[in-house]
Amino acid sequence: MTVVDTASRSINVKSLLSKYAIVWVTLLVFIFLSASTDAFLSADNLRNILDQQSVVLIVAAFTTIVLISGGFDVSLGAIYILAPLVALRVQNNINSAWLTLLAGILVGLIAGLLNGVIVAYGRINSFIATLATSFIFFGIAYLVSDGTILRVTDITMREVVTTRILGLTSATWIAFVVVAIAWIMLDRTRFGRYIFSVGGNFEAARLAGVRTNRVVVAAFVLAGAGAGLAGTLNSIRSVTAQASDDFSIIFAVIAAVVVGGTSIAGGSGAIWRSVVGVFFIAFIVNGFNLNGVDPVYQRIIQGAVILTAVGADAWSRRDKS
Amino acid sequence: MDLEVRSVSKRFGATIALDNVNLKIASGTIHSLIGENGAGKSTLGKILSGVYQLDSGEVELAGQAVTIGSPREALSRGITIIAQELSLVPSRNAADNVYLGIEDHAGPWVRRGVIKDRFEELTNTSGIIVPNDRPVSALSIGDQQKVEILRALARNAEVIVMDEPTARLSVEETAVLKDVMRSLRNQGKTIIFVSHFLGDVLDVSDAITIMRDGKIIRTSKPSDETHDSLVEAMTGRKAGEAFPAKTPPNSPAPVLEVNGLTRGMQFADISFTVGAGEIVALAGLVGSGRSEVARAIYGADPFDSGEVKLQGSVIKISHPATAIENGIAMIPESRKDQGLILDRSIRENISLPYLKKLSQLLMKRREENSMVAENFAAAGIRALSSEMTVRSLSGGNQQKALFARSLAGHPTLFIADEPTRGVDVGSKRAIYELLADLARKGMAVLVISSELDEVVGLAHRVIVMQTGRIVAELVGDQISESAVVSAAFSMKQREGLAS
Ligand SMILES: Nc1ncnc2c1ncn2[C@@H]1O[C@H](COP(=O)(O)OP(=O)(O)OP(=O)(O)O)[C@@H](O)[C@H]1O
Ligand SMILES: [Mg+2]
Repeated sequence: MTVVDTASRSINVKSLLSKYAIVWVTLLVFIFLSASTDAFLSADNLRNILDQQSVVLIVAAFTTIVLISGGFDVSLGAIYILAPLVALRVQNNINSAWLTLLAGILVGLIAGLLNGVIVAYGRINSFIATLATSFIFFGIAYLVSDGTILRVTDITMREVVTTRILGLTSATWIAFVVVAIAWIMLDRTRFGRYIFSVGGNFEAARLAGVRTNRVVVAAFVLAGAGAGLAGTLNSIRSVTAQASDDFSIIFAVIAAVVVGGTSIAGGSGAIWRSVVGVFFIAFIVNGFNLNGVDPVYQRIIQGAVILTAVGADAWSRRDKS
Repeated sequence: MDLEVRSVSKRFGATIALDNVNLKIASGTIHSLIGENGAGKSTLGKILSGVYQLDSGEVELAGQAVTIGSPREALSRGITIIAQELSLVPSRNAADNVYLGIEDHAGPWVRRGVIKDRFEELTNTSGIIVPNDRPVSALSIGDQQKVEILRALARNAEVIVMDEPTARLSVEETAVLKDVMRSLRNQGKTIIFVSHFLGDVLDVSDAITIMRDGKIIRTSKPSDETHDSLVEAMTGRKAGEAFPAKTPPNSPAPVLEVNGLTRGMQFADISFTVGAGEIVALAGLVGSGRSEVARAIYGADPFDSGEVKLQGSVIKISHPATAIENGIAMIPESRKDQGLILDRSIRENISLPYLKKLSQLLMKRREENSMVAENFAAAGIRALSSEMTVRSLSGGNQQKALFARSLAGHPTLFIADEPTRGVDVGSKRAIYELLADLARKGMAVLVISSELDEVVGLAHRVIVMQTGRIVAELVGDQISESAVVSAAFSMKQREGLAS
């Protein structure tokens, strides 16, 4: 083993290119749309994108943590639907913004706890376990709402998500705070180290004294709470909630996280990657909409873009074995 | 088909793994590659077999310069590697694994009969016999390795790189493998043998190439070399004693006391002590239950009955975390499966068990860095920085990273399961030194080892196990290789001597 310095510079350039590939690609999309589509680079449009993506960012932040820990949570879509139903029941009875949000978060937290315990202590594959609990959560959602549409009775409640602060909506700010918290947790705390170790090598982490089961449960609890918060914010914004609402956010989130470069095999990834992934997809969808592309083709192209991004990533990592 | 390597260099980031390497490997020989950890042996093997691409230089096969762009291309030229981590499909039998991907087909259907016939023919011509009636996961490591060799032969490999093939084999299995290697050579195959076991290297090779720091020191015949001459060339230093002198422990107080430890079919009625300053070796054949006992003490697996006492009081250890809190450290048997988080940095791997102490709300990076720096040095890890991923370290340095982790906890009981697996001679000596030193400072050390010289050279006391029971305990002058072997193979256990 000998050390040289001359070559390291060119090698660093190469690794900067591949390590941050998703950033460069997202920037390219941004620049391309700015140049080609008039309405894209306007304060209103960008503000709207941020506002729309706020709930996606919140769910994506903790989904990233679950993925890094080696787990997979498809039930976040169901939690995103269930939590606001309970929260709106609370709002209908006690008209308090804080208690409404708290109720939504709490529901997500309990649902996440159930997921985590089943996965960690039941030793059931997390994809299958959360697929099963999705059904349960949807079922409870129908029970809670009696199959009806629930409404926010006090319209001023919307201020929770629509208040403008420095030009951005409060929903956007809430998302920023949540993302920052997740980022710090993953990067700067003991918990974050545990997440990476459990996802990287579960048995090695256990033998190194990591309470692996607790770490897994904590990851699912956080993800559940995030989905509960996001769902509640979304329903407050749209003032209604029902059990048959669109739960496809979980697909958008997983797509964004994976496009960002977090591995579904566990052990590697980053919050910033998911943030970039969310905006990569958001910009593309926005570009389609501004240019009036038929939604049917939008979906197909979107799928192809995701496959390309993930494929390119796998390709660039291929000989790191 | 002679193989020639010309001015080959390979660099990983700022590390030069191979520096202008020139080497001729004659067809039909066993050619050994030896050198310290990180010397570049595996890198050279991986370049020849297409796993890595060379940066500059060329490889010639039978006088022709060739490109080796992938393992597939290497194989098409007749070169393949048997890596240390075997890559078999555990649930399939030997024949299925051998012909995986090159099955005989009739339309979409695999012709099982043909595969079976071809497998039998292959085992007959090669003389390598393995059971084919069970999934390979039920085979011993030695037999699994034979399946890998058969797989290489079935693909018409002429040159087989074997990277530390004996590291996980018992003494008997190693002898069998060496016979297989010789018979392959006699059939005209070329074998590139990477190993840290100099005795095997001297015994089996036709030529030996010694590497250091990515360069070739020399290539010579085994008849011109001795164990010590090889060590000197590898390390650049005079070869010293293989083992540090044994310092008899003076305090008789047992640190660890195990009474009647029993678990199901794996081990029964295990009782022994390890005193402060004492090195106790658990010896026995692979599968005799040594690792299982160690894991039970460490809280990695539960046990059914019995008790574990630490410094006189019974402790209840249900998780490794409790063991670590109680001052027990363990280096597990398999560093890749049970020890390291390969894609994280050396730093994070060392500090992992101690994060509670190293963090409040956030990680205390400064304290972490100083803990890591101290133990990185103490364990003698050779790497550019502690921020490198563990994956990018050579095998021996990965093992040292595990030592650094254990040392960082200042344990009172140190359990090391095969502590020198994959470690070069120089570092082996350093690890022995480290263990002896820890004992001298009053630590209780429990070593599990399949290497007899290690057991004999290190231990104050040897406990020999056989099929889950203790069959002998050897102290002082009683400790010798032959005594350990005869105890490990003895029939005593059936007569119930353990009780
Ligand atoms: N994939 C990689 N990325 C970065 N560095 C690497 C990589 N593979 C090897 N190296 C470095 O190249 C050098 C040579 O490593 P190599 O694995 O060839 O050593 P070795 O002689 O096989 O050692 P050992 O006996 O410990 O297995 C080491 O310094 C190692 O850290
Ligand atoms: Mg090696």
